[in-house]
Amino acid sequence: MKISYNWLQTFFATPLAPPQQLEDLLTFHSSEIEEVITVGNDTILDVKILPDKSAWLLSHRGVAKELSVITGVPLSRDVFTTSPELLPHTDLLQISLDTPYCDYYSAALVKGVVVGPSPAWLAHRLTAIGQRSINNVVDATNFVMFELGQPLHAFDADKLQNNDGQYQIHVRQAAAEEGITVLTGESYVLQASTMLITDGINNQPLAIAGIKGGMTALVDSATKNIILESAHFDRFNVRATSKQIKLRTDASARYENGIPSGLAPLSLPAVVKLITEIASGTLVGYASAGVIDYTRVPVSASLQKINSTLGVSLSLVDIEIILKKFGYAYEIAGDTITVTPPWERDDLVLEADVIEEIGRMYGMDKIVSVPPTPAPLSTFNARHAYAEKIRTTLLGLGFSEILTSSFRASDVVQIQNALASDKSYLRSTLHDNVREAILKNIPHRDLLGLTNIKLFEIGTVFTSETEVFRVGLGVQTGTSYKAKVDDTLLKEAQSALEVALGTAIDWLGTNDGVTEFSLDMLLLTLPPVSGYEAVVKVRPVTYEPFSLYPSVTRDVALWVPVSISTLEVETRLKDVAGDLCVMVTLFDTFTKEDRTSLGFRLVFQSKQKTLTASEVDERMTAVYNACNESGWEVR
Amino acid sequence: MKVQGHKHPMSQMITEINQIFARIGFEFAEGPERELIKFNFDLLNVPQDHPSRDMQDTFYLTSNPEVVMRTHTSPVQVRYMQSHTPPIKMICPGKVFRNEATDATHEAQFFQLEGLMVGADVSLGHMKGVLEYFFSEFFGGEVSVRFRPSFFPFVEPGVEVDMMIKKNDTNKLSGRWIEVMGAGMVHPSVLEGAGIDPEQYQGFAFGMGIDRLGVLKYGIDDIRLMYNGDLRFVNQF
Repeated sequence: MKISYNWLQTFFATPLAPPQQLEDLLTFHSSEIEEVITVGNDTILDVKILPDKSAWLLSHRGVAKELSVITGVPLSRDVFTTSPELLPHTDLLQISLDTPYCDYYSAALVKGVVVGPSPAWLAHRLTAIGQRSINNVVDATNFVMFELGQPLHAFDADKLQNNDGQYQIHVRQAAAEEGITVLTGESYVLQASTMLITDGINNQPLAIAGIKGGMTALVDSATKNIILESAHFDRFNVRATSKQIKLRTDASARYENGIPSGLAPLSLPAVVKLITEIASGTLVGYASAGVIDYTRVPVSASLQKINSTLGVSLSLVDIEIILKKFGYAYEIAGDTITVTPPWERDDLVLEADVIEEIGRMYGMDKIVSVPPTPAPLSTFNARHAYAEKIRTTLLGLGFSEILTSSFRASDVVQIQNALASDKSYLRSTLHDNVREAILKNIPHRDLLGLTNIKLFEIGTVFTSETEVFRVGLGVQTGTSYKAKVDDTLLKEAQSALEVALGTAIDWLGTNDGVTEFSLDMLLLTLPPVSGYEAVVKVRPVTYEPFSLYPSVTRDVALWVPVSISTLEVETRLKDVAGDLCVMVTLFDTFTKEDRTSLGFRLVFQSKQKTLTASEVDERMTAVYNACNESGWEVR
Repeated sequence: MKVQGHKHPMSQMITEINQIFARIGFEFAEGPERELIKFNFDLLNVPQDHPSRDMQDTFYLTSNPEVVMRTHTSPVQVRYMQSHTPPIKMICPGKVFRNEATDATHEAQFFQLEGLMVGADVSLGHMKGVLEYFFSEFFGGEVSVRFRPSFFPFVEPGVEVDMMIKKNDTNKLSGRWIEVMGAGMVHPSVLEGAGIDPEQYQGFAFGMGIDRLGVLKYGIDDIRLMYNGDLRFVNQF
């Protein structure tokens, strides 16, 4: 939620610490700050408020209270500590609740308002936090929502029916297929699970409860008399409707996070006061229906548990200091602290909840680390140990390991909400993924300095009932699969695995040079594991982004005197070929009398563009010239 | 000519992670990738129809409304606790799935590392010690860890974990705080649901993206490269 620094300041008599410091205080004691931005003469802190705090922190008062507890500076004004009084009462508003999802509804009738632009201070408050200023009445309801966290709504009273000046607000469930057009102009056809605010006289819907007001009673420039709503709706019902009609609003977000019902009667007089100040009008009176549950069950936490959970050594005095800043009612008996949460906090139920409150206000950054002690393992993961053995064996034969998507365009098990049509099913084999990876890598053989592509993957495949950990491997040498060449290489790997594992493997067929087996099935026959292989110390690797442009291959064969080393020739070739030559591989060598024949493969590639043949030829001419100069005969 | 193949960096990291945790007695546990909602959400204190369930976008399966592709490795905590008694020290590296748009830092499938330690007096202080040990071994160099308040339904208190590698000129990651994972003390309801008495035992749990560790350790600039089978990537390792 976007929180205005200037707005926060209105809750304190003394100047707040600078925004940068507030950011740190909130970060280490309350919530993450996603962004701090300057808007005019104000600074906006975008506070990431997570579901555990959304019932009481989605407001400026909520954030101000957090800061008050963190810094120990009391709030200079706090409507939460007052008792709500909805006086005077009026009979001109009749409220009836005919749904299990609304436990409290209060409303105020204000007559003679003059709808117009908001005063500058109000418009600035709202625009600073990214809201649009609409008119003084609507802005007042939004202001109080962002100030206290209570959604509010204004209806044009003259657009409701009345009996001798008496209005009837009826909260009920929608009839199946009942329709409503909301303030944005969108129309919705509703299900019976939707809760509506309706005009009790003509039964017309006025708003989708807790989510959005309807067009019927829109407040516009001609509006004179208004009915203000401040109510409490069931969080699960509001959430279900919001998801179903795909309409999430600042109001629905607050209801679905379970704002306390006690907020409603406190916020209504606040908005009435503001409207009568900035839009004229006179309060006729209030009416309400339903009851508010202010009772909170005390929660106990022991000093021992607090310290042993957090890994700190607080005293009872330290804890009392923190609880006093919260302003919580508490009692201490022995080493047990019993806290009675205030009405606005229904999330403090377990000992762990209280420990968290104390811990975060004390400072999670003050936790002292306890280093672990070496301890031998008694149980080893056989699947991991054997997978490692399989890896080592295959790596030794030149196979590289890949990981691929568990999703396929078509297979057995279907995903209900797939990301894309080519990712709608779970894979039931590794074959297709390994095969596709081989085909993708074949064009890069020269670039990789490989004569063939050898791959394997170890991963899970899915049938309708089971999931199995498989090992898939494949080989391809040329641009197309050739059984004679590729299956021979594959068989070599298959035998090597059987030797390494000391058992025959049940291979699940071989197609196009790719085969696989179930490691889970094999594990049933393999001996138990009594340790992990010692880890080979690997050199530190830093990944280098690779060029996505095609590479060009050129071969050169040379006769050089036997006295010249291969390395010397290779170094000279790399030198002359230049930076565009990304790979030089010796692919052939033999000695005849006093000369050695060397066959080199040079691969050229640019990071910026596709190389043309002439650019590569130019480099190769330089290579040929250099060879001739050195007295090496180009064959 | 003998050519050595290349181990995938994910496997390499998992090998190292397991070695590091094995030395302090953490067992390598596993669980299914296609998981019951009961384990993925319910027993992890993520109520039905609660905003916290929106924290992770989930893939559901057409044939069975009871199962999802696991959105985290945390269900393995529950499965492990159900079949073991404290003291418990466990890690679980594994593949997880999120139904979200992919980009250089997000994949719909990636690997997480879960860690769990439960005993009579296991505290956030123990977690801090274990994590400092792990990151120091994994990244090389002296690593400090700090906690910030956060929320995950299956822990209370919940924290975000930042780490800092002690400043040294050869490591550009060093000398600054880096957000690495979420963690906390296992929620009493989770312990209870897994058959462990929260009056007697307590412990910590953490979960982090191994892909993110790879980004930090190897400088990988696009985690999608981990899963597209391209040897121009794999063969650099």
